Amino acid sequence: MVSQTMTISRAEVRQARRVRLGPLSYLSHIALVVWTILVIVPLAWTFLASFKSEDEIFSGAWTFPAVPRFDNWARAWEQAHVGQYFLNSVIVVACSTFGTMLLGSMAAYVLARYRFRGNRAIYLLFVSGLAFPVYLALTPLFFVVQNMGRLPVIGPFIGLNTHGGLILVYIAYSLPFTVFFLAAFFRTLPTAVAEAAFVDGASHTRVFFQIMLPMAKPGIVSVTIFNVLGQWNQYQLPLVLLSGEARDKWVLTQGIASISTAAGYDADWSALFAALSMAILPMIIVYTVFQRQIQAGLTAGALK
Amino acid sequence: MSDIPVNGPRNDLPGRPGLSRRQLLRAAVGAGVALPFAAACATPVGGGGGGSQPSVTGTVSAENPLGVPENEPFEVVIFDGGFGDAYARDIHQPLFRTKHPNVEIKHTATKEIAKTLQPRFASGNPPEFVNNSGDNAMDFGALIQDDQIADLTPLLDAPSWDDPNVKVRDTILPSAIEFGSYDGVFRVLPYANTVWGIWYSTKLFNENGWEVPKTWDEFLALCETIKKSGKCAPFTYAGKHPFYIYETILTLAAKIGGPDVLRNIDNLEDGAWKAEPVLTAATAFAEVGAKYLMQGTTGLDHIQTQTAHNKYQVAMLPNGSWLENEQKDTTPPDFGYAVFPLPSFSENDAMPYGTLHSRPGEEYFVAAKSRNPRAGMEYMRAMLSKQGAGQFTELVSTLTVVKGAAEGRKLSPGLASASAALKAAGDNTVYFRFRQWYAELHDEVAAATGQLMSGRLTPQAWSERIQRKAEQIKRDDSVKKFQR
Amino acid sequence: MTHGRTRFIIGFLALPVLLYLIYVISPYAQAFYIAMTNWRGVNANPQFVGLENFRRLLDDTVFWKAVSHNLLLLILLPVGTITIALFFAYLLNVGGHGRGVGGIRGSKFYRVVFFFPQVLAVAIIAVLFQQVFRPDRGGMINGPLMALGIEPIGFLSNPDIALWSVLAVLIWQAVGFYVVLFSAGMASIPKEMYEAAQIDGAGRIPMFFRVTLPLLWDTVQVGWVYLGIAALDVFAVVWVMTAEQGGPDHSTTVIAAEIYRNAFDYFKFGYASAMGVVLFFFTIGFAALALKLSRRERIEY
Repeated sequence: MVSQTMTISRAEVRQARRVRLGPLSYLSHIALVVWTILVIVPLAWTFLASFKSEDEIFSGAWTFPAVPRFDNWARAWEQAHVGQYFLNSVIVVACSTFGTMLLGSMAAYVLARYRFRGNRAIYLLFVSGLAFPVYLALTPLFFVVQNMGRLPVIGPFIGLNTHGGLILVYIAYSLPFTVFFLAAFFRTLPTAVAEAAFVDGASHTRVFFQIMLPMAKPGIVSVTIFNVLGQWNQYQLPLVLLSGEARDKWVLTQGIASISTAAGYDADWSALFAALSMAILPMIIVYTVFQRQIQAGLTAGALK
Repeated sequence: MSDIPVNGPRNDLPGRPGLSRRQLLRAAVGAGVALPFAAACATPVGGGGGGSQPSVTGTVSAENPLGVPENEPFEVVIFDGGFGDAYARDIHQPLFRTKHPNVEIKHTATKEIAKTLQPRFASGNPPEFVNNSGDNAMDFGALIQDDQIADLTPLLDAPSWDDPNVKVRDTILPSAIEFGSYDGVFRVLPYANTVWGIWYSTKLFNENGWEVPKTWDEFLALCETIKKSGKCAPFTYAGKHPFYIYETILTLAAKIGGPDVLRNIDNLEDGAWKAEPVLTAATAFAEVGAKYLMQGTTGLDHIQTQTAHNKYQVAMLPNGSWLENEQKDTTPPDFGYAVFPLPSFSENDAMPYGTLHSRPGEEYFVAAKSRNPRAGMEYMRAMLSKQGAGQFTELVSTLTVVKGAAEGRKLSPGLASASAALKAAGDNTVYFRFRQWYAELHDEVAAATGQLMSGRLTPQAWSERIQRKAEQIKRDDSVKKFQR
Repeated sequence: MTHGRTRFIIGFLALPVLLYLIYVISPYAQAFYIAMTNWRGVNANPQFVGLENFRRLLDDTVFWKAVSHNLLLLILLPVGTITIALFFAYLLNVGGHGRGVGGIRGSKFYRVVFFFPQVLAVAIIAVLFQQVFRPDRGGMINGPLMALGIEPIGFLSNPDIALWSVLAVLIWQAVGFYVVLFSAGMASIPKEMYEAAQIDGAGRIPMFFRVTLPLLWDTVQVGWVYLGIAALDVFAVVWVMTAEQGGPDHSTTVIAAEIYRNAFDYFKFGYASAMGVVLFFFTIGFAALALKLSRRERIEY
């Protein structure tokens, strides 16, 4: 990134490097390669094991499978329901991230740009949530969600063992972070455009959706990426809110952890490795494709 | 223009517009300190899910002694572990339907009972029939304390499935009733009759001329022979679940000192864990741990060690009689599972050679606050029929508490061996119950025993640690206490 | 206009605040009450026992073990992660420079790869490493060791090693994010600063301490706070990966695992909530400490 702004040509840089290549440079490369291996090897090893038979897994960690066992993948996908868990995760995270961003940006905008009594208190209430350990709330949260399930009409959609309930909880627990960062972002935006729009008679709502929200896009993108990753990786909340009776609603993390437990009983380690590979590969691929945006978004969010 | 945008404090990051992390921290600290005071006036735990529905009942008749409502469904939850759940689907449920064709059975199988069911009990919507078993079973003590488990006395007093003139009570082993009773009330049905011991392969033993040891010295000598032979490791156990080995230690302790050793432990008697026989048994197994364990044992779980056993990488492992069934997919056909009782430690043992840890196990109960508890009890009545129990024994290679149900059934080698060992033991069977009564004590014993076996705790320190935990539980009045 | 404004404010705030109050604030508030009862979950007849649960916590050795592990992680996780990440970020951004500043060859590739663990769920990483650390021939590390006739290492079964295995996994996952974060921070450091240092004859190592670190101090602090809070919240790795869920012999247990165990295994909800309250004050205390320590002169540029 820095080199792009430099006026020296690539050839010159390379030349300079060659001149200055000391032992330190070699060590640097070695260190980087070592860490690369540390990162990639466990992932590659999992992938390799997913094609091995039970016997091959037990007898040697680094042997190649005699024949690739694609049936491991079939078993993981169907019997272990990895496909279902994956879809569930996508549904839940898509809805909850959208909801988080919508509600979070609305609240953040109002708190950042409007002066009214109670503003500060509400802002602090949200932000304080950042420091609460979620483990303290687990038990009561369980009952809160259960009671929500008893509400007339909407109850069945937002109670325990529903995706709706989990989505609302995800949204609520993502608000502190979202409001905190977006409020900061809205504060930095210039006021002139909005003021001009008000003069033209635009409503508050319109100004928000048509002017301020597009202006806040970089911040929105950052926080969205944070929320997608955070919610996708949640394990604790679904563990409590989607019990075993709602196995068909389970999310991926829960499913994989459960397959790991089950592998202990069924002695089906090969399916576990296949399931792990299925959980890992799509994330690696999506990330690799969008890595520039993701890295930029994440660091922008954190550095703000 | 009434809209003056609020300017956030930006004094922390000069040169960069925006906000500060410090602001976040300050806010969090401020609100955090204020919260407990706000909580003081918050509403107490709302309802807690006490709103369980009223249960349904049908008409009692000779054909329907428990009064099962004929059109009401009910749910059966089976622990999908060593026994699988096929026995419920293929044996007990069809059997139940022969008498109640219109009662719909909802079948659920899970490997994690507590995770699956605890929330449902909490919310007053429990399933009728529960097989509370496995690593993630629910704490019986807590369930009983909260009145969640139905009194099964009506089941005991009902006529048996096979013969209207014999009560269910008289068709099962008395120990099953003892085990299933809490404060004198029969609430839990232990269905399987489990036999513990040390398992080996008759093929491996015959090929090498190894013989079943009858005394502790012979046992150590055998371990030494096996170790020297270089063919395989002498001994292993499910290192990640030290229950498998503390079970063995306690059985040896009871053999040395008599059944009261275990009774005192169960009753949380002072010094029960420091009794001489317990220490002797722990010392004996610590030596096995130091010298004869398979490499890596402490990090392996039951399936991994049992699979190693099937691959002839290790000669002996302690286990219960569900083992053969659990391993049926990885056992070579000529493996020849067999079990032997713990060797006599010395001539002064309080109990004779052949003494076994045997007890009714695999617990089932009916949820008191479920919608259709009578159907759950009727389901148990079907399980306790000769047909239900006999077919169960054949399918999952496990004896049941139903008297004579295994007679005339075809038994697998391991089961035949366990059955013979049980017969030889006669009345010399011992057991302990704290695992079900005090889950916390079980966790501590397991943790400490793992350390004992790997040489990180001396037997002395091991017993002191566990004794301390036992005393802690004894003092904790929020934990319900049991006696036997 | 004023009327519309009020309606707008209320309209925009109502739903987020309502959700937040119901799902976040009310459970926390209730937890403080539950911590003072002997509630065992299943039925709703909790008795008020005052501070009894907290008194009992005092002689709960396992709980204090968990606390000590959290505190250890609170120090080692940030130190380990930040050191490694700073090292790599510096190599990637400044390490390969000739004249002026430039990243090492392939720096983009490294940044992408290092970040991989960050996009994977912790629970999934925990399952993965459980297999990596297996002590038999099937283990990724122990398999080759045993083939060479070396004793397998009890990564998760030796209580002296297990916590280090947990720490290693946590660092393994975290480093990538901080490499990228620090890289971005280093990229925004004006080149002139380095050039000035170079003219003074500074090598790369002194340059790191004289230029990079001071200018990046702010970002490092952010990282420290994030990692500190993460260290207090460790759960999935311990719960999923370790033997006996926090073992062997409680050697890896953390506060969150003890809360979960006491609540959902022993059904001691009151007692578990009391642990939660302690964790809460630890977190607040840590935040306050971080606030205090970060109150120092900043370098402006």
